[in-house]
Amino acid sequence: MRRIEQRGQAITVELDGDPVPAFDGEPVALSLLAAGETVFARSIKYHRPRGPYCFAAACSHCLMRVDGVPNIYTCRIPARAGMRLERQNAYPSVKVDVFQSIDWLFPRGLDHHAMFAGVPVAEQVMAKVARHLAGLGLLPDKPAPDRMPCETLRVKVAVAGGGASGSSAAARLAAQGVPFLLLERDPFLGGRRFSAPDLPRDQVRLRTPVIGLYEDDAGWYLAAVSAADASEPRLLKVYAERFLLAVGGHPPTLPFENNELPGVFSGRAATSMLRRHGLLIAEEPALVGRGPELAELQRLLESHGAKIAAVVDVDGDAKDLKAHGRNKVNGLSFARRGRRKKVDCDAILVSVPISPSFELARQGGARVSWSPPHRTFVVEAAADGRTHAAFPLYVSGELTAPHAPEESAKSGELAADAIAREARP
Amino acid sequence: MSKALVCPCEDVTVDDVKHAIQKGYCDVESVKRYTGFGTGICQGKSCLTAVAQVLASEVKDIKPTSILPFTPRTPLYPTELSLMATAPVDESRAPSGGVPASLGYSFHALRPEAPVQSRAKVVIIGGGIMGLALAHNLASRGEKDVVVLEKGYLCAGASGRNGGGVRMQWGTSAMIELAKRSIDLMKQFAREMGINIWLRQGGYLFLAKTKKIADRLEAGAKLHNRHGVPTQILTPDAAKDVVPQLTMKDVLVCAYNSEDGVIFPWPFLWGYAQSCQKKGIKVETFTNVVGFEIAGGKILKVKTDRGDIACEQVVLAAGAWSPSVAELAGVTLPNEPHRHEILSTEPLKPFLGPLVSVLDSGLYFSQSMRGEIVGGMGDPKEPAGLNMGSTLRFVKRFASALTEQLPVVGRIKVLRQWAGCYDVTPDNNPILGRTPGLPNLLQMSGFVGHGFMMAPAVAERMAEWMVKGAPDELFTRFTLDRFQKGDLEREEFIIG
Repeated sequence: MRRIEQRGQAITVELDGDPVPAFDGEPVALSLLAAGETVFARSIKYHRPRGPYCFAAACSHCLMRVDGVPNIYTCRIPARAGMRLERQNAYPSVKVDVFQSIDWLFPRGLDHHAMFAGVPVAEQVMAKVARHLAGLGLLPDKPAPDRMPCETLRVKVAVAGGGASGSSAAARLAAQGVPFLLLERDPFLGGRRFSAPDLPRDQVRLRTPVIGLYEDDAGWYLAAVSAADASEPRLLKVYAERFLLAVGGHPPTLPFENNELPGVFSGRAATSMLRRHGLLIAEEPALVGRGPELAELQRLLESHGAKIAAVVDVDGDAKDLKAHGRNKVNGLSFARRGRRKKVDCDAILVSVPISPSFELARQGGARVSWSPPHRTFVVEAAADGRTHAAFPLYVSGELTAPHAPEESAKSGELAADAIAREARP
Repeated sequence: MSKALVCPCEDVTVDDVKHAIQKGYCDVESVKRYTGFGTGICQGKSCLTAVAQVLASEVKDIKPTSILPFTPRTPLYPTELSLMATAPVDESRAPSGGVPASLGYSFHALRPEAPVQSRAKVVIIGGGIMGLALAHNLASRGEKDVVVLEKGYLCAGASGRNGGGVRMQWGTSAMIELAKRSIDLMKQFAREMGINIWLRQGGYLFLAKTKKIADRLEAGAKLHNRHGVPTQILTPDAAKDVVPQLTMKDVLVCAYNSEDGVIFPWPFLWGYAQSCQKKGIKVETFTNVVGFEIAGGKILKVKTDRGDIACEQVVLAAGAWSPSVAELAGVTLPNEPHRHEILSTEPLKPFLGPLVSVLDSGLYFSQSMRGEIVGGMGDPKEPAGLNMGSTLRFVKRFASALTEQLPVVGRIKVLRQWAGCYDVTPDNNPILGRTPGLPNLLQMSGFVGHGFMMAPAVAERMAEWMVKGAPDELFTRFTLDRFQKGDLEREEFIIG
């Protein structure tokens, strides 16, 4: 772990009452990692240690109580001076949690359907224990502040997602004079390209995750929570004549033993921590996965001085992967040609093709199907991104399959051209 | 402590998924329910692909077209109730729309290719809790020549979509007695079926904000007490001892029965279905009834999209779909489906004992065994129709009402919303017994959103009546012809 470069003003946040150094505005999960904190939480059932994995709000490993509010994605919120972070779901502490005994007592897992079912007394005791162990986090310290009113907008074209694909599509729409509004959940555009075209500022809302594609009397609309310009969040409804969904995908879980131990990160998380925030997450990582991004990740890390402990292609002859370590990864083992091999490493980076984020598309009525070559669900669409939905709903980028950033950008432009052709009077 | 996880939010392992497949749950929706994968804070973002890959490699001869994703629920990211409460809603208009929009494809991809059996003495239409509980009870009484037809997966209908509330606080003696018996049966369920249903008797706390509802609660409590149900009338102050976080603005009076509770609905269906299978009764999922062969005032065959089944008796237990199935036999039922929406929040450590309901507005909420706040609220403008789409309007109405009653949850986040259909009859009471003019079609529908909690007791009595022919007023009093005769006693303790 090494900070290659420091961005922002040095501040201090508070973790379970102790000060932790951070830089203003970086994801606070990253501040904690850089300060050497690995265990962020305990898991819900077996109380296994958890640390950040995806840095994309697609898992639940980094949840903490933040400023008196439970279950906050620490990978999504910027560090601010004095921010109070508390670990959840452990007794007496996350580092030494007595309930981790559940994990030890049930090495093969416990079947909550059958366990003590119908056994007198035991089942009542179990129900009481389960009730008290269940749940993550305690009630918030206080009621919510008064919220700003919902904002309702009507636009010609709504673009959800400003990554490689959405930002290129928006640039194309802008060039053709088609009015649009782009909603991006991150505080920056461009996603995996780490650069973005210039877009008219008033047509872009950053820090605005889309939460649903809904329909009512007035038509289809995107619902979003907008905290643009770091203001207080407010609900946003965006009705549009045409929609382009370019929300990318989620880093999937790759099942292998102890695959969620702190120190296992998605490859894209490692890339963005390095390129976006100047943090090299590991000096000596093991890389596992498949697909073209695996080799790219290796090149990127090596160019910053990391020593790669191993590269394991899960489509190759390596089998039965296992992460080692108690509260943090210290090794990776696997079987190859009948022999078990173990390497020491300070992180395991999982780079597998992305799972397309088909949710909004399907809410709108697009077809989603299983793609055997990609081994993911994909949104079915024509070459220009038009879906089977009953209204003009387009998708681009990684919604139709895992793509390289350049391909994603290209598909965004194709969709934008199709939308522009339709939108012209 | 070595586990390979597919769903780290809920600690679901690869072995758990394989175990579900061995049990016969081979589609994504069923595996989700049986293992709990995808029900945590990430809502399936990181785990769905991994689970589908396990299905693709572990389920024998599975076709790619049979691997369908589960329905993605709004919101895409956990969103605070207090923000949802700001959505503008025109309460003077009826709700419209709902997502997901019509999907253009459905369960037909999952329909088994093999034909169904060609005959059975009893065909039960509907594999919800009513149909499955009846099949189990028939088998326990020696009648095993039964088949259950279900158009979707187990739990696809209202039995898998309800909030899990079970209560004895009803407005008529018949319902109170059924509910009491059901709760007794629920206490024995795990012992008999070998599956936990997580009954938690935290009570039901009803709040009344108008004189009319207050009078109803007070009259109800007297009736409950006569049936041995210990309902107490509480002042708003006393009710705060039960749930300290509640605000009691405008509340006139409360009714509390500490013996009511909540259960986890899904294992009932699995328990009954597994019991049926053990006794040789087939539960045919993904199988549609497409018509009937009728002659001489009798149903001779039930026609399905997997072949015809010759039979002696047919039981219609299809919940909100019952009117459309009855239509195929030329029978008109007065039932109407009404969408009821519901949502679930992030899981919290236990703080809420009872299920709380404001009977005036139809707001209800409880805390599940997993720690989520689960709740809903009826919409007086909801039109009749088989609609299971989700609306922002509902989330807004529910979030406003809930945060007004329980302000401390304003920053608690909604994880997912869904909907199911109440099967509503003109007098809020079920339709049971023989069909006039078609006596071998037996009715078992019209439970108006509370069929789940009544099913264990109703099914027991129905099986007894069918097998032994013992007279039972349920099957003479709640018959279809009561609507012609005008002999109606309305149930007024309906939430929503």
